[in-house]
Amino acid sequence: MVQAEMVEATEFQALSNKYNVSGVPQTTINDGAANITGAVPESNMIAEIKRITAK
Amino acid sequence: MAKLLTDDVVKQIEEAFAPMKENVQVMFFGQKEDCQYCSDTQQLLEEVVDISDKLSIEIYDLDDDADLAEKFNVDKAPGTVLAAKDGDSISDFGIRYAGIPSGHEFTSLIQDILLVSGRDSGLAQETRDFLKELTEPVLLQVFVTPT
Repeated sequence: MVQAEMVEATEFQALSNKYNVSGVPQTTINDGAANITGAVPESNMIAEIKRITAK
Repeated sequence: MAKLLTDDVVKQIEEAFAPMKENVQVMFFGQKEDCQYCSDTQQLLEEVVDISDKLSIEIYDLDDDADLAEKFNVDKAPGTVLAAKDGDSISDFGIRYAGIPSGHEFTSLIQDILLVSGRDSGLAQETRDFLKELTEPVLLQVFVTPT
């Protein structure tokens, strides 16, 4: 159910622009439902996934 | 062709791979046109795979192997999948790399190989319980730069 993809931002500029990547790392969840810049502790990541999937 | 990994780096990776438990399958998807980093990525992965007999690599093409790429949700080249290999059976843990895993991401690659080899995500029990109950797919994309 969960897929995690490292995206090398400079190789995939169009995708980086789509999600307004301005600082790295940026974690984009489900096509921009959430965008988090910086390191994401496990508990925060789960909280975000909970928020998104609860909709 | 000149090696991408120096002898020193190979030695460090050998030490890092010492605790490897189970086999890991690396699946590489390249593309013939407009892929600046495909050949470098393929070479890098092949050099890493050579370091441990618990690692193996399959080379695919995003266009020629479109069905397999779709099955593994790979839509970018170079694209890399790290999967568990038990006999002939491949188990997908959802780990993907789009683009060359160099710089900091090379460390992530080595650590991910160790995680898959250990067959353990290292996540908290609470996290595992929550993820088990998910009913819709979650895609996490972590944008990084190689510097």
